[in-house]
Amino acid sequence: MNHARLVGLLGATVAAALLAACGPKHVKSPEPAPDPKTATLVVLLPDDASGRSGFATVSPSPGSKARGSVELAAAREATIVGINRPPTSVTVMSEEEIKRQFGSLLSSLPPAPQHFTLYFRFESDELTAESRALVPDILRAVKQRPLPEVVITGHTDTTGSSTSNFELGLKRATMVRGLLGDAGLDPSSIEVTSHGEAVLLVRTPDNTYEPRNRRVEITIR
Amino acid sequence: MKNGGILKEGGWHMKVECSAFVLALVLAAAPAFGRDLAIPGSFQKDAAPAGRIKIASGAVFIVRAGQTIPAQAGQPVFEADALRTGPDGRLGLTLKDDTRLSLGPSSEIRLDRFAFAPAEGRLGFVMSVVRGVAAYVSGQIAKLAPDAVRLETPAAIVGVRGTALVIRASQE
Repeated sequence: MNHARLVGLLGATVAAALLAACGPKHVKSPEPAPDPKTATLVVLLPDDASGRSGFATVSPSPGSKARGSVELAAAREATIVGINRPPTSVTVMSEEEIKRQFGSLLSSLPPAPQHFTLYFRFESDELTAESRALVPDILRAVKQRPLPEVVITGHTDTTGSSTSNFELGLKRATMVRGLLGDAGLDPSSIEVTSHGEAVLLVRTPDNTYEPRNRRVEITIR
Repeated sequence: MKNGGILKEGGWHMKVECSAFVLALVLAAAPAFGRDLAIPGSFQKDAAPAGRIKIASGAVFIVRAGQTIPAQAGQPVFEADALRTGPDGRLGLTLKDDTRLSLGPSSEIRLDRFAFAPAEGRLGFVMSVVRGVAAYVSGQIAKLAPDAVRLETPAAIVGVRGTALVIRASQE
């Protein structure tokens, strides 16, 4: 150990002793476990479709006296954050424990929304044959759900202005609503919207012709 | 830094650099203050529902503009609504961006911010788990603007990158 570090260590010890002398609220150690009544538990879950999971950054709330954050990066990783405490180091919860504690909570999650993407024929406002063939599947998916909601969202490529693309997306979505209405869905229960060129399927620069971005997405939830 | 992005979102707490006590007071008051402000101005802008209740059982309520109303499946929920369950209550919701939420018994969440208008560049999701337990499955907002997604509890703040998680804010 070099001289500077020794001095630093001594300084820290003196500072700690001084802090400890100031009163009980400054005593840092030993760290008691966070109060389970007020502590926050965060558990990362696997994504149900893929089995993968994303990640979450857990930090003390902005008003907390504590600092430091912890990252949950794999399924079933967990951390606990007490009031005015930093997050505990990451632990892994067993599948059984998650089921025991949160099984009924997780069974209250509604089913994942279902998506269909419809494409248009080259330079046309007509759907491709493949997309047209999806209509019966769409109707079936709607009928299977309790309290179904159907949202039709029009998307465009980046050719033209964003304002005109918003309108174009809306026009395509409205056209598809007509189609689903003809097939037997109540058009008044279908919401129509447009994301214009804001949500591209294939990332392109502005003013780029890209048929895969000219599409209508149907969300059933 | 991922955290930098998350903290930048809430500009109101950046101004306060005094004691933790004052900061805590500001934090406690800010959501209520924000809601009051939202009624004349941005309430009209976001008058469309944020989502819908899909599953409801037991004693469940929506707290909207200070009024507590019984909740049932099929009902729309709006930005600034809080959802509350009794000791036997359970709720499941699907929001417009495909975000899914559920609440266990004796729980409360507040939908502080919900904006899903990609064409206008407005994206944001801020939810407080006030007490009890909630499950969150991220939707398109988290995909399109992960820094605009924040889950808060009295003790912690959680930023997400496209994921599902359980948050327990308190335990009886």
